Amino acid sequence: MEIRLKSVYKIFGKEPQKVLELLKKGKTKSEIYEETGQVVAVNDVSLDISIGETFVVMGLSGSGKSTLLRCINRLVDPTLGKIYSKELEITSLNQRELREIRTHNITMVFQHFALFPRRRVLSNVTFGLEIQKKPKEYQRKKALEMLELVGLKEWSDSYPSELSGGMKQRIGLARALATEAKILLMDEPFSALDPLIRLRMQEELLKLQNKLKRTVFFVTHDLDEALRLGGRIAIMEEGGIVQVGSPEEIIINPRTEYVANFVKNADSSGVLTAAKMIDSATKASFVSSKRYLLDHKTNLTLELDEDSHPIRAYIENQPLLIKSYPNIGEGETNLILVPENTVLRDIMKAKVCCDFPLVVVSREKKFKGIITEKDILKTLLMKGKEKDLGSQNV
Amino acid sequence: MWFVKFWTKIPLGDTVERGVDALEIALRSEFRALSSFLHSSIGALEGFLAFIPPLIFIAVLGVLAWRVRGWKVALFVVVSLLLILNLGLWSLTIRTLAIVLMATIASTLIGIPIGILKAHNKVIHTITRPILDFMQTIPTFVYLIPALMFFGLGTVPGVIATIVFALPPPVRLTYLGIRQVPVELIEAGKAFGSNWWQMLYKVEIPNAIPSVVMGVNQCIMMSLSMVVIAAMIGAGGLGREVMRALATINIGMGFEAGLGIVILAIILDRLVRAE
Repeated sequence: MEIRLKSVYKIFGKEPQKVLELLKKGKTKSEIYEETGQVVAVNDVSLDISIGETFVVMGLSGSGKSTLLRCINRLVDPTLGKIYSKELEITSLNQRELREIRTHNITMVFQHFALFPRRRVLSNVTFGLEIQKKPKEYQRKKALEMLELVGLKEWSDSYPSELSGGMKQRIGLARALATEAKILLMDEPFSALDPLIRLRMQEELLKLQNKLKRTVFFVTHDLDEALRLGGRIAIMEEGGIVQVGSPEEIIINPRTEYVANFVKNADSSGVLTAAKMIDSATKASFVSSKRYLLDHKTNLTLELDEDSHPIRAYIENQPLLIKSYPNIGEGETNLILVPENTVLRDIMKAKVCCDFPLVVVSREKKFKGIITEKDILKTLLMKGKEKDLGSQNV
Repeated sequence: MWFVKFWTKIPLGDTVERGVDALEIALRSEFRALSSFLHSSIGALEGFLAFIPPLIFIAVLGVLAWRVRGWKVALFVVVSLLLILNLGLWSLTIRTLAIVLMATIASTLIGIPIGILKAHNKVIHTITRPILDFMQTIPTFVYLIPALMFFGLGTVPGVIATIVFALPPPVRLTYLGIRQVPVELIEAGKAFGSNWWQMLYKVEIPNAIPSVVMGVNQCIMMSLSMVVIAAMIGAGGLGREVMRALATINIGMGFEAGLGIVILAIILDRLVRAE
């Protein structure tokens, strides 16, 4: 485990011990605030984050997610609980050791970029390297390399005020990456950006992450962002974690009302996969173990070989070509195969091109089932609404 | 009234006087040393400034103004300094400039570190606040008495009184500048592992610079406003000329010397700015 949090609490106030006792008695955050005027920011959070994972903490403002993030590099000192990075207990470090960790092992990207306005872009990126006391030539070389990585090499002599929001955050990212710290804390890094720029930055982060494989602890209030980026997502409410899971688990099986409310309005089209949508496959009637009748009206029939690979398709004995997504064009008159890990968005794209049901196949190209228009509509309607949707499908 | 009998005056003035006396006796040699150090520093600074031929001085300042502030300020600098030269006030202006620069250098050297400490330490902040209020509100003439007692007549006590008077702006504006550094930048400094020093000179000071420069600017302006008052205890320069005009009710002389001070003030104000 790269990062491990063991029942971490953070209370802002004068008598945190008293608040801890009240929490043990089962009082809620707002009751405690009424009673003592102290704020429970983080309430008994335990998490395990593995190496190279992009872990997203999602919650509304005031849910304690930014405080939780700051507990990891101890910009905020937790009131109770332990935090480990590998075997090292971060919560027991003294100031000097802590600075060492912050310089080399844990780095951070900020919501409002936190670039130094009186430094040029290049020397903003070298900041962490200056603290690391790296030689000047190395600093310059490394910073230029990082600027190239985020596509802003030609801006190295500008001042941050000359850049747009998206560019500023790329500089923030370059500054963080330059230190080569394995752990990257990102505190709502894209929240201050326009929606379009935000999307592009998310894509770029995914691309970078594919290349660099840092351990990313990402905080956001935007579920769509969480779904797009997160390998796993933790949903936070009132300082506590209400659910941890993969994007698909969160969408299909929201554990509480709070999570379900989020999920209802989320864009699941990049999360739900074909595998979860093929319950109507059973409706494709067997003719024999090697022949399926896919559509009664048109008499569309699919033939499989011994290993259940689709080999031929007919309409009324007229053969049809079989093509695989995404190598298709508009107005296809052929039958289309989609891999079972295809996301809803791409399934819709494929369906638009073709009137026939889509044929879902496994990674080994084995027949799994079909998806009709009805299945797509049903998925869109039911998403997040009923908790039993998940159990039906899985 | 019945309580008037018991209503004795608190001997505040006497106590202060006795305190100042005791201080004068206890630290006489230190004050002497400081006095002679300041005397020779001001002498050296004035000697250096006076050594430069006026036209070269004006040309250098003009080019400097042009490079940092543009041609309008440069034009003003050149024309106004030529006017001073023409009025025969050059050497007096140089002396005043030396006094003002000396006072400003001393005030900022003392004031900026105090401002930095004040921004980081609550105790120092709490202690210095009333002292600074006191220094800024007490009538300037009142400074002159202890300055006179400790350092005698002449330019040195004038400079000392000016330093004390001009100290609060650099302290306060340095404090303000550091406190106004955005929290996110401080967090960024910490998150990348800065220690106290690195935080100070890589994050806090660079971002406080506009405010600190404003403090230096205000310090210069306060020093200039003390020029005439300090002349009362023998500081030379344009201030003394104003005092002389006042004593002899010479309107023309007073106007010319006063104009010299104003010109100096405008030039220094335009040159010493953050942006």
